[in-house]
Amino acid sequence: MAETALEVKNLSAGYATVKGFVRAVDDVSFTLTKGEFMGIAGESGCGKSTLAYAIMRILRDRARIESGSIWFKGKDFASLPLEDVEPHRWTDMAMVFQSAMNALNPVLSIGEQLTDAVHAHRQVTKAEAEGMAVAMLELVDINADRLRSYPHQLSGGMRQRVMIAMALILHPDLLIMDEPTTALDVVVQRSILEKIEELQTKLGFSVIFITHDLSLLVEISDALAIMYAGKIVECGPARELFSSPSHPYTQGLMDSFPSLTGPMVRIEGIKGKAPDLLSPPPGCRFAPRCPKVSPACLEAPGPGLVPSGSRRSCACVLVGGDR
Amino acid sequence: MSAKALELRGVVKHFPLRSLMSYGKSVHAMDDVSFTLESGGSLALVGESGSGKTTTASVIARLYERDSGELIVDGEPAKPFRNRSESLAYKRKVQLIFQDPFGCLNPTHRIRSILERPFLIHGLADGASDLEAKLRGILEQVGLTPAEDFLDRFPHELSGGQRQRINIARTFAAGPSIVLADEPTSMLDVSIRMGVMNMMLDLKERNGVSYLYITHDLAGARYMCTTIAVMYAGMIMEIGSTEDVIGQALHPYVKLLKSASPAPESGLTRTRLEAKGEIPSLIAPPVGCRFHPRCPHVRPECREAVPELRDVGGGRKVRCILV
Repeated sequence: MAETALEVKNLSAGYATVKGFVRAVDDVSFTLTKGEFMGIAGESGCGKSTLAYAIMRILRDRARIESGSIWFKGKDFASLPLEDVEPHRWTDMAMVFQSAMNALNPVLSIGEQLTDAVHAHRQVTKAEAEGMAVAMLELVDINADRLRSYPHQLSGGMRQRVMIAMALILHPDLLIMDEPTTALDVVVQRSILEKIEELQTKLGFSVIFITHDLSLLVEISDALAIMYAGKIVECGPARELFSSPSHPYTQGLMDSFPSLTGPMVRIEGIKGKAPDLLSPPPGCRFAPRCPKVSPACLEAPGPGLVPSGSRRSCACVLVGGDR
Repeated sequence: MSAKALELRGVVKHFPLRSLMSYGKSVHAMDDVSFTLESGGSLALVGESGSGKTTTASVIARLYERDSGELIVDGEPAKPFRNRSESLAYKRKVQLIFQDPFGCLNPTHRIRSILERPFLIHGLADGASDLEAKLRGILEQVGLTPAEDFLDRFPHELSGGQRQRINIARTFAAGPSIVLADEPTSMLDVSIRMGVMNMMLDLKERNGVSYLYITHDLAGARYMCTTIAVMYAGMIMEIGSTEDVIGQALHPYVKLLKSASPAPESGLTRTRLEAKGEIPSLIAPPVGCRFHPRCPHVRPECREAVPELRDVGGGRKVRCILV
């Protein structure tokens, strides 16, 4: 029986702005099983990064979790005081940030930065920490003599691998990756993904991989969640979602990537643009762009996630649905 | 016989480095670049970052001049401009679409003033009412209607997709015969990319222009163009019809690029990448074939001389001694 690694229930989080509260994550629920590779796909502004930051409890300043729970290691991380979250950060859950260039400190060598992460959480000697850093760098195919290098001396792909090494150095159970390969070229991107898959098999952690590139996610994820305007609109096994998407938004997204093989057909993408989260549409948030919109779609509240198969669920009045 | 809109013969562009440490060295951004763009045709220049594709577009647009080699536009070899009217005439014929829809529109100008400029600079409008009609016409062509909703707004009031449409409208305003599109959709959200790509295909049909379409996305290149040239480290590695190059890649680098590109439609079974590593430094490019340090099929002779871009029949050329 698959063990649950992380369970997010009815999570809402957002930002206080001068114009009002922007609920970037709105009533989001999902379960991640142990050792699973889960992809979260969505466009900019759909709340996918806010979701990651909320799970890590690193929302700052004007951002906060409104309601809901995040069950991890038998505790509700959404309501836990920050000082009780602290011991779990990096030791149990770690994160790879989008821009390795900005996430690494330019004036410290990567060795110092890697051992810093160790010293912050473990009582170890300098030599032990260094040993851990070297072992981790080797896992991501970076030579130990790079320990004394500074970030600017490394290529983009190497920097991102350093970030991965840093995230995995304390062997966390959960690795959250926020667009880790977006700024990289396709070949480098592919080699990093291969590396993550390899490490995952070796170390057995679970992954939440966030990106806007659905065509990439489909190939590497076990499970897939599609986010739109703060909500998960569809989730299920990646291959099933790719071969038979139910939600019109998922269908539109799948129709937004030209194919590399097969016959050439004109594809249309999705018309219109994502709604303003300050005043989202009352009913289904995708309704204004949806080619299959019906009057029921415009009624508040919008549809919630409803199971539409053994492991799939979809938030659309046209699919299964509670209406 | 189809006329040639654009021809490059052995074009070279090096950027000298001026710092004290690297005095006398230069960045070899373009070396021996030759290709032909048929009149009304479309050629995709595909490559990773740092492969020299943007430099190629800038050299063709004559934002800066090539070091050597021939640039022939509409059958006329490009010569140094003798006066402003020659420069204007050239720039009217060859227009460039920039990558960043956020950075390339002046934020203090209204859309009207941004779109008026090409008409005024090139003297293409006959009085105020004609200018107004032309502005509306060009907005309609890029799908921004009604025009009055857009003309008096500022760029920041528009979405990324709309801004890129304005950017493209400005390009077409001067009535160019050659349009150089430098990654026009890479900064847009995935769901609206297809809309912009389809619009560009329609514009091409309607205006009978030739496209040089620069991208890092093989699938996107296939969607937009009938011919593909793949660049690596400042050189063209393979050029030929889209179906040939993508369907049956010959050069090891093109094979690598293809295997790294997401193609979920082709059955989701992947082979591991054959090669690792990243694009070499263009300040001291590898001697011999520029791909040899990463090539899985490398032979001693690959390290000696730069292979020629050899004709292999069927309008296809490959820069590899093994083919």
